[in-house]
Amino acid sequence: MVYYTVSGYNDDMFLVGILSWWYGSGWAGRLLVIKTRLMQTSDYFSIGILLGTLFAPYRQISAGGVRGSMAAQLRAFGDRLISRIIGAFLRTGLIIFGIVALCVQVIWGAIVMAVWPFVPLFPLCGVILWSIGWVPSWV
Amino acid sequence: MRCYIVVNWVGTVVGVNTPLFAYHSARSEKARIARELGPMLRVFLGATVVICLIGGGICLVLGNPLGWVFIGLSALPAMVIEWYENELRELPVVVKGSRIDDVLAANILGLLPVHATPYDVATIIGQVPEGQFFSVRFGIGPLLLQEIASKDSNDMDALWSKALELKKQRGCSDISAGLLIMSLLSLYPGYQQLLAHLQLELEDVQNGIDWYEHIETLIVSSKRFRKTGGLARDWSFGWIPNLSRFGQNISEQVKGGMFSADIASHEDIVGQLMTALSTDGGGVVSLIGHQGVGKSQIVYSLAEKLLDGEAGVPESLRYRQIFMLDAGSLLTAAPGAGELEGLVTTIMSEAYQAKNIIIFLDNAELFFEQGVGSVDLTSALLPILQAARLPMIVALDEQRFLQISQRSSALTNALRRINVKPLNISDTMSVMQNHLVVSEFRQKVTYMYQALAETYRLSERYVHDLEMPGRAVKLLDDAARYAESGLVTAQVVHNTVEQTLDVKVGAVRDDAERDTLLHLEDRIHERMINQVRAVSVVSDALRRARAGVRDQDRPIGTFLFLGPTGVGKTELAKALASVFFGGEDRIIRLDLNEFVRSEDVVRLIADGADDPSSLTARVMKQPFSVILLDEIEKAHPAVLATFLQVLDEGILKDVRNRDVIFKDAIIIATSNAGADRIREQIGRGLAIENFEDQFVDELISSGEFKPEFLNRFDEIVMFTPLKKPELLQVVDLIIAGVNKTLEQQKVSVTVSDEAKQYLVEAGYDPRLGARPMRRVVQRAVENTVAKQLLAGDVEAGGTVAIDLAQVQALVSLKKQADKIINESV
Repeated sequence: MVYYTVSGYNDDMFLVGILSWWYGSGWAGRLLVIKTRLMQTSDYFSIGILLGTLFAPYRQISAGGVRGSMAAQLRAFGDRLISRIIGAFLRTGLIIFGIVALCVQVIWGAIVMAVWPFVPLFPLCGVILWSIGWVPSWV
Repeated sequence: MRCYIVVNWVGTVVGVNTPLFAYHSARSEKARIARELGPMLRVFLGATVVICLIGGGICLVLGNPLGWVFIGLSALPAMVIEWYENELRELPVVVKGSRIDDVLAANILGLLPVHATPYDVATIIGQVPEGQFFSVRFGIGPLLLQEIASKDSNDMDALWSKALELKKQRGCSDISAGLLIMSLLSLYPGYQQLLAHLQLELEDVQNGIDWYEHIETLIVSSKRFRKTGGLARDWSFGWIPNLSRFGQNISEQVKGGMFSADIASHEDIVGQLMTALSTDGGGVVSLIGHQGVGKSQIVYSLAEKLLDGEAGVPESLRYRQIFMLDAGSLLTAAPGAGELEGLVTTIMSEAYQAKNIIIFLDNAELFFEQGVGSVDLTSALLPILQAARLPMIVALDEQRFLQISQRSSALTNALRRINVKPLNISDTMSVMQNHLVVSEFRQKVTYMYQALAETYRLSERYVHDLEMPGRAVKLLDDAARYAESGLVTAQVVHNTVEQTLDVKVGAVRDDAERDTLLHLEDRIHERMINQVRAVSVVSDALRRARAGVRDQDRPIGTFLFLGPTGVGKTELAKALASVFFGGEDRIIRLDLNEFVRSEDVVRLIADGADDPSSLTARVMKQPFSVILLDEIEKAHPAVLATFLQVLDEGILKDVRNRDVIFKDAIIIATSNAGADRIREQIGRGLAIENFEDQFVDELISSGEFKPEFLNRFDEIVMFTPLKKPELLQVVDLIIAGVNKTLEQQKVSVTVSDEAKQYLVEAGYDPRLGARPMRRVVQRAVENTVAKQLLAGDVEAGGTVAIDLAQVQALVSLKKQADKIINESV
């Protein structure tokens, strides 16, 4: 049986269309969105670059070569060392922060992917919960 | 037409599917659903989600389990929004689909009725963004398309077939509004004429489709994910306080995208730059090309590419930042030579130690030459360039590069040269289209495609000192100031050129000019007598030019006027300048008796900055003019040879090797060569037409002119000596001139016929033609009027009547006249 709305599309087609997309390319597309967001976060926190340059001097402060007396060279070495330590400290901090952010996103993404197939059932779940009359005690 | 009738469950016909178009396919249905989910409905759905979630939450907080129903129901509108955003908004085509509904743009598909006709398609095109793009940019609106589209649904198969054929030809992924416009036009038998009215060809419509696709690509590309390096990208690189202060961070400017050249030749140069800069830890590359070829644009494009972590950039260049140094701000900060060298060394040292910098010296001649706004830093920069450890890009004008090479070969040897050539028309159009993305927004105008095409054509001709695409972009920007109701049309570009350069480039528009052109001979003859043929050939040339039927690659007309002195050769040039070109000051006059040495050629083509009176400088300043080359027979052969290209192609290169365009000028050369022979032949009663060819042959055989020179003129016109009756008309003209002068005094002059006869007798000299007569008549008449005015014999509104006796008294027979004549010689 085929019904036609005034606007010209088929009501059945609406349902078929949205559900087939939801459980087909929509679900796969959501995975792609989560992946892209993870990449953006990873890029934003420069995790790859930070790992590659973990012990590089921070902002190249006193990084240039020094010619001169042993004392001057030792002083430059010390400066460089401090610069590297500061750099490593800052980088490690940002790497940890970035990894936490990534983990949160991964968990959130996993939840979204897991819940996704049940979203069309939410109205039914709502009706069931209403008919049971359950309300969480913490609210 | 084969078709499939679609019926519903009670047997009512609800649609017709043809082999090419299935109204009820899944994609068609989805397209219609997408159409129904308009902005208002989507806002409503979004609001419903929010209200349901908030309402449900409140209910639950209040202990009412009904809240679960609200929360559960919020999923439905949320799903619809999600579906719309991720599939329906840009409904993908069916891969390998062969029917129209598989590949038709979804926004059009969603609007198609069951029994669509070409007329419906034309109407729908006007409702979608691409159709509106064509309406505004090309003037191909829905009304025009409806005019040519049939209202018979049986014609749809032909339209769909054409669209599928064009899609295949062009290798498009879908059938867009642009392709449908092309299909509708192609099926209309008189489409060429129709497009000609819009100054278009079918190829331009194809270019329009490319243009629209390019804009869409830019939008998509600006939204795509780019690896930018993130927060800590520059942590491993050095501080650059001085470089940040005196340099301009190009990378910072381009990080939003949209600067990619997207032009094959420029992309190629960007690739060469990356290869050169990434070798051996850093190279010094010079981009050599004329001003305006896009050297800076290439560097901007490179800067954008380097910031894109996924653009295949070599590891050593990835995320490097390009800093442009400004000679002006360096000079301001360190006016002394020593200070300046110190500052530059500090900046370069910072850039080197930072390890993520590429230095860009735009207009690098400013760093290698001493002058106003420039400074010679060769001694400071040369060691840095030769060491090649700091990546640098040096942009130089071709001519300046040669000059610097002459002065310091070590400097140019240190540079790895990459030539940047001017772009062709198609690439220049692309550059202009890219440029419009930003400039239209800034200037709040919209450019039509025809304006872009006209900009290219006219800038090629009238914009000097720059090469393509710079010259076209310059004119494009200038045209924005003359936009009419926010729209820049081809006409606006014409107006821009006409108003900024004082030339006439478009076809005749106003009635006054049309009238002048149609009656040009009459208007000229108001100022000069006889010489009907000369007046006629010159008038014809102008009419051809203004009607747009002349050869655009030559001057408007090139004429050689031959004849004795005082017969009106120069006067015709003056009359022409006055009647049509807007005043006698529109004559660029060269007395070629001043160009008798071969060295004088340099004076013809001197740079305007050195010699503003040179021919090239004056034509560059005033291209729409009458160029009068007087007494051409006296010029040195080298000077005449210089004119060969001007007469032939309307181009002359100046000392700076710039093309100066003579294509909007009328070139009139005059010569007295063979004047005695003309007088002799006329005296023997021969008509000019009968000995014209023979006379020209004699000029060649006598060595006066070379045949290749004479052959380059459109017309060689011989001027006949004036006879007595014509001289009487000349007297009338002169008296009319005197009356015009006296208009301010509110006094007029009349001269009796006998007095005029006397003036002709007294003023005419066979050697000098009518020239001395002007002075005789002016003196006789003006002196009489002056005396009467001073004596109070005539008042405002009165008339001074001059009779024979008064003239005789003033000119005292022949004696005084001869004196005047001799003064004239």
